[in-house]
Amino acid sequence: MELHILEHSLKVASIAKEGIQICTHGLIKLAFLPSKTRCKFFSLTETPEDYTIIVDEEGFKELPESEHLSVAEATWLALNVVSGGGSSSSSQPIGVTKIAKSVIAPLADHNISVFMLSTYQTDFILVRERDLPMVMHTLSSEFTLLRVVNGETVAVNSLGVTNGFVKPKLVQRPIIHPLSSPSNMFCVTSLNPDTLPSVATLLMDVMFYSSGVKEPAGASDDSGHIRFFSFSLIEGYISLVMDEQMTRRFPNNVLFTSASGELWKMVRIGGQPLGFDECGIVAQISEPLATADIPAYYISTFKFDHALVPEENIQSVIGALRTNESTGQ
Amino acid sequence: MSGPKPDILWSPHHVDRYVICDSELSLYRIESLGSTEAKAGAVPLSEETAATLLAINSDTPYMKCVAWYPKHEPECLLAVGQANGRVVLTSLGQSHNSKCKELMGKEFVPKHARQCNTLAWNPVDSNWLAAGLDKHRADFSVLIWDISSKFTPEASVPAEKIRLSSGDTDSGVVVTKPLYELGQNDACLSLCWLPRDQKLLLAGMHRNLAIFDLRNTSQKMFVNTKAIQGVTVDPYFHDRVASFFEGQVAIWDLRKFEKPVLTLSEQPKPLTKVAWCPTRTGLLATLMRDSDVVRLYDMQHTPTPIGDETEPTIIERCVQPCETIIGSFAWHPSAQNRMVVVSPNRGMTDFTVFERISLAWSSGTSLVWACGRHLYECSEECGAGAAAAAERDVATKMRERAQSRYGHDTVQVWKNHVLAGGNDPQLKSLWYTLHYILHDHHRYYIIQCFPYFFGNKQPLLYSGIKNIVKSSTSGTTESRRCWSGSERPAEVVRYLSEERGLALQLCGWIRCGPDINVEPFLKSLEQEGEWERAAAVALFNLDIRRAIQILHKGASFDKGDLNLNVVAMALSGYTDEKSSLWREMCSSLRLQLSNPYLCVMFAFLTSEPGAYDGVLYESRVAVRDRVAFACMFLSDSQLPRYIDKLTNEMKEAGNLEGILLTGLTKDGVDLMESYVDRTGDVQTASFCMLKGSSGEVLKDPRVQCWIENYRNLLDAWSFWHKRAEFDIHRSKLDPSSKPLAQVFVSCNFCGKSISYSCSSMPHQGRGFSQYGVSGSPTKSKVTSCPGCRKPLPRCALCLMNMGTPVSSCPGTGKSDEKVDLSKDKKLAQFNNWFTWCHNCRHGGHAGHMLNWFSDHSECPVSACTCRCMQLDTTGNLVPSDSS
Repeated sequence: MELHILEHSLKVASIAKEGIQICTHGLIKLAFLPSKTRCKFFSLTETPEDYTIIVDEEGFKELPESEHLSVAEATWLALNVVSGGGSSSSSQPIGVTKIAKSVIAPLADHNISVFMLSTYQTDFILVRERDLPMVMHTLSSEFTLLRVVNGETVAVNSLGVTNGFVKPKLVQRPIIHPLSSPSNMFCVTSLNPDTLPSVATLLMDVMFYSSGVKEPAGASDDSGHIRFFSFSLIEGYISLVMDEQMTRRFPNNVLFTSASGELWKMVRIGGQPLGFDECGIVAQISEPLATADIPAYYISTFKFDHALVPEENIQSVIGALRTNESTGQ
Repeated sequence: MSGPKPDILWSPHHVDRYVICDSELSLYRIESLGSTEAKAGAVPLSEETAATLLAINSDTPYMKCVAWYPKHEPECLLAVGQANGRVVLTSLGQSHNSKCKELMGKEFVPKHARQCNTLAWNPVDSNWLAAGLDKHRADFSVLIWDISSKFTPEASVPAEKIRLSSGDTDSGVVVTKPLYELGQNDACLSLCWLPRDQKLLLAGMHRNLAIFDLRNTSQKMFVNTKAIQGVTVDPYFHDRVASFFEGQVAIWDLRKFEKPVLTLSEQPKPLTKVAWCPTRTGLLATLMRDSDVVRLYDMQHTPTPIGDETEPTIIERCVQPCETIIGSFAWHPSAQNRMVVVSPNRGMTDFTVFERISLAWSSGTSLVWACGRHLYECSEECGAGAAAAAERDVATKMRERAQSRYGHDTVQVWKNHVLAGGNDPQLKSLWYTLHYILHDHHRYYIIQCFPYFFGNKQPLLYSGIKNIVKSSTSGTTESRRCWSGSERPAEVVRYLSEERGLALQLCGWIRCGPDINVEPFLKSLEQEGEWERAAAVALFNLDIRRAIQILHKGASFDKGDLNLNVVAMALSGYTDEKSSLWREMCSSLRLQLSNPYLCVMFAFLTSEPGAYDGVLYESRVAVRDRVAFACMFLSDSQLPRYIDKLTNEMKEAGNLEGILLTGLTKDGVDLMESYVDRTGDVQTASFCMLKGSSGEVLKDPRVQCWIENYRNLLDAWSFWHKRAEFDIHRSKLDPSSKPLAQVFVSCNFCGKSISYSCSSMPHQGRGFSQYGVSGSPTKSKVTSCPGCRKPLPRCALCLMNMGTPVSSCPGTGKSDEKVDLSKDKKLAQFNNWFTWCHNCRHGGHAGHMLNWFSDHSECPVSACTCRCMQLDTTGNLVPSDSS
C-alpha cells in the first residue's frame, strides 16, 4: 500500500449562513472557474449550521476577511491511500472502511487528530502539518510513504523519530458523541468537468439559494430531514454529495451514476461542535463499520462529522454503533 | 465550450481508409487522383490524392476515445469510449456480416460512471478490449472487457436497484462484468498492450506508469513519473516506449524501467499526440497544441541503451504539412513516412514526410546520397576536349595534376602551369608571376638595386607590385616622349622610376637588368601568335609603327585574321587633333571590336592624357598588362590608388592573376583564401604558398590548413608516394615542417636509444639514419649497442646481428652484390631497416621480412605461429599512385 502525502497546504474554514453572500464571489470563482485561480483543492460542504470550506493556500486568497469567516488555526496536509497492487477482488469494502484499520486506528492510537474528506474519487485524510513527522512515523511500517513535490512523486524515508514515542496499548474505543440519523437519502456522484458550465447555474442555486425557498425550515427538521450538500473540485476532479431528491433537478446524463444506483444514508456525529483537537472520533465510527464490512463515506465539517453508509445497511450500522456506545458507557 | 477536437485513425488493414472522429465518426476512403477526374464529393488532400466520404456514424454521443478493431474480420469495428465510462461497439459502412451484427451496439458499463480516457485492443487476443477510466474511490480504473462475453441478466444487481440507470438497458446488450479489473482507486490516462507478451498491459496511471501482468494481477511493475500520457510502444523496438507530460516526451526502455532513458526537449505548449512511425525505425512524431508543425525526432542512430548512461543523439526537425493549425495526425500503416493530418475544422491533408538526405562526397569525384531506402550514386562524366577539361571537378583536376608532378618544378617555375594541363589562364599567370618573383636574376637584380629593401622588416623579395609601388622612395621622372616612327610629338606623359621598372619586370614586359627594351617581349608574343597583345604592348611603348607592323604580320601569317590589316590601317590614320573625325569614329566604334587588346589600343589613342580608364578597367585584358600600363602612364598619386583598387578586386574575386599585385604576403594569403573558397583547389594554394616560404606567410593557420588538407587528400587517394614527395618538397622549402624523429630503436639491455646514444657521442662519427642503420660498415660496423656494447638482436632470417647490411637474399648471396654494399647509398635502402612484429616481437631486415611474407603467412621464427603480416592492416594496402 502506498500513502501519498500531497503537496497542498490546506486551510479549513467555516462561513456562517448569514455571511455567505460576502464570500460568494470567491466561492464561485473557486468552484466554476478553476482556470482563473491557481487553486488545486477546493471543497464546500453545506450543513444546517454553516458552510465548511477546505481550500489550499492559493484558493484561500480568494476569500475575504470577515467576521462570518472562522478559520481553524492549523495548516493541514492531505494524505491519500493508493492500493499498490491491483486486485481483481471487487467485494472489498470501500472508502473509510478500507483504511480504518490501517490508517485511522493507528493515528487515533497516537493521538493524532484527523479530518476526513471522502469524495467520489477517493478519500483524503487531513492531518495537521505539525503532526506530519508523527504521522510518518506511525504509518511507515504499513505503507510506502511517497511525497508529491512539484507534481512528481518521490519516496520519503521515515524520519528517525522513534525515540520517546511509546507504542500505545490498543484499547477499545467507545463512541463518545451522540449520533443521529436523518431520514433523507443521499447520492454520491460526479460529473465531467467539461459539462460543469452547463450546470453551473443550477449548482449555484443549490449551493447558495436553496435555503428558505424550496424547503421551509422547521418542517423538514422535525421529520429528521437534513440539508446536506457537498461540492469538491480537487486536482480537476469534481465530486458531489447531495440529497437524492436534488439529483432529479439535473439533466439526464450529466451526473455520473453507478450501475447499481446505490444510495446512502447519513449518520451524523456530535451533539455540540466537535472542535479540532479531539482524536479518535473517526476511528470510533469506522472501526465497527470495518468489522461489519460495511462501506462508508466520511465527511468532516467544521462542527460535526458525517458518515454515509449504504441505505440497506443503515439499521445494522446503527445497531453496531449503539452496541459500541453501550459498551463504552 | 468548443466542440471536441477531431482525431484521426487509419484502418489497421485497409490502407485506403481512415476515420475522423469528433462529435461523430466519419469514414473516408483515400484514392489517388491519377488520370481520372476527381469524383463528385471527393475532397482533395494533396496534389495526387483525394478522399471520399463513405459513411457517417453519429450513434455514439459523448465520445471521448475511439479504437479500431485490430483484426481483418470484422472490418470497421470500432470501440468508442464515452464520457460516462461506457464503451460501445459500433461500426461504419458495414456489410451486414452476422458476427459483426451481434457485436454492434454492445455496451460495456463500469460500476461507477466516470470518463473513459483511453481504449486499447489486445493485438493478439483481439476479444480483449482494455479501457482506461478516471479515478473512483471504490472502483478500478483499468477494465479489460471481453467483447465476446454473452449478455447475462445481472443477477448480482437486483432490478429495483437500477434506478439511476433506467432507460439505459433498452438497447439490449450490456455487459457489466469485466474480465479483469486493475488499478484500484487510481486514474488511468493512457494504455497500450506490450508486444512482449499478450498479457502485459502498460498503463499511464495518475502519477506513475504501471505494467500490469494479467497472469498475476496482484503484481505490477511501476515507476513514479509525471509523463503518463499517450504511452506508445515503438513498433520496431518492443522495449522502447514513449510517453509525455505537457510539453515533454520521455522515452523509456522497459528493460531498465526505473527512469526514462532520455527526455526530449520541452515544448512551450502541451503536446496532444505522440506517435511512432510504423514504417521507419526510431522516428517519433509529436504534435503540440495550436501548432502548425509536426515535430519529428529521429532516433535512428541511437545505440541500444543497455546500461549506458550516455544520452544518445537525436535529430530533431519540424515538418509543416499544411498552412493551418493541426488538430491531429495519423501515420499511414504501410506507406512509407506518410501521414494524414486534420485541422480543427476538419480540413485534411495527405502528407509524406520527406526523408532527411545524407550526402557524402568521396575524395574522388563521386557523390553518394541516401534518401529513405534508396541510395544514389553520382559520378562525373568525363567529356573530351579542353572545354570539358576546364569544367571538370577540381578533385579530378587535382588528382591528375598530382600525378603529373604539378608544383614540383622548382627550377623553371613557370613550367608548373604546363604540368597543370596548361589550359587555365589564371594558373598560367600565377606560375609566371612566381617565376619572375623567384627568378635568380631578378633576386640578384633586387639585391643590387634596392639594398635598402632588405633593411625593412618585410623583404620585398616576395612582395607584389602593390608593396613595390608603395615603397617608392626614389624620385619619379616624367618624360614626354615622341611617338617613335612618327613625326608628330606626343602629348603622352610617361613616368619612370626604379620601382616602376621593377614592376614592369614582374609583369614580364622587360627583362631583368637595367635594360628597359621591350623588344624581346614583343618577339616572344609574336612567336606565340598573340598579335593583338603584342601590338598593344608596342603601342603603349609609343611605337605605333611597330604596332602596325605586328598587326600586318599577324594578318599575313598562316591562318591569320585578315581583319588585323584593317585595324592596322585604322591605326595608321592616328591623329592627335582633338576634334578630328578619326578620333570621334574610333572612340565610338572601338567598343565593337571583339578583341580586348584592339579595343584598348584605340581607347589609349583617343583618351585624354592621364585619363586612361578605358584601358585600366577593361577586365578582359590580362592583369599584368593593365598593371604594366598603369606603371607607365599613371602619376605617383594615381598609381597606388589604382593598384589598391585592383588588388581588392582580385582579392574579392579570388583571381590568381592578382598574386602579381599582392605577392606571397598576407594579402596574397587573403586572395588565395577566396580562390580556395571558390574552387577548393588546395593543391595550387599549398604549392604556391610553399614557394613563398618566408616564415610569416607559412605560419598563417590558413596556409597550414591548406597544406594539411592537401596531404590528407593525397592520403585519401592512396597517393602515398606523392604524399611522401610532397612532404620532402615541403621540408626543403620550409625546414620548420620537418617532423622530429618519433620512433627510436632502443637497446634490449641498457634501454638507451641506439640512434640517440650514437649521435650524442661525436667521436663515433656518423649518426644513424632512421631505424638504426649504420652509416658505413667499413668505418664502424654497428652491430652492437653504442651504449653498452651488447650485440643488437639478430635478423630472424639471415641470423646476422642487426646493423649488418643485407646480403641480398639469404642463400643466394652473390659476390657482386657485396661490392655494391660499400656504397653509402645502398646502405640507406629500406631493405636494411629494422622491422619487427609488435605482437610476437620477432623481426629482422625489412627486405628479408618482405621477402618471407610474400609467400608465407606465419612468422619466420620456428615454433612461432604469429601471423604478423595479417595483423598489420596498413601493410596490406596498395598505393594508387604508380611511382
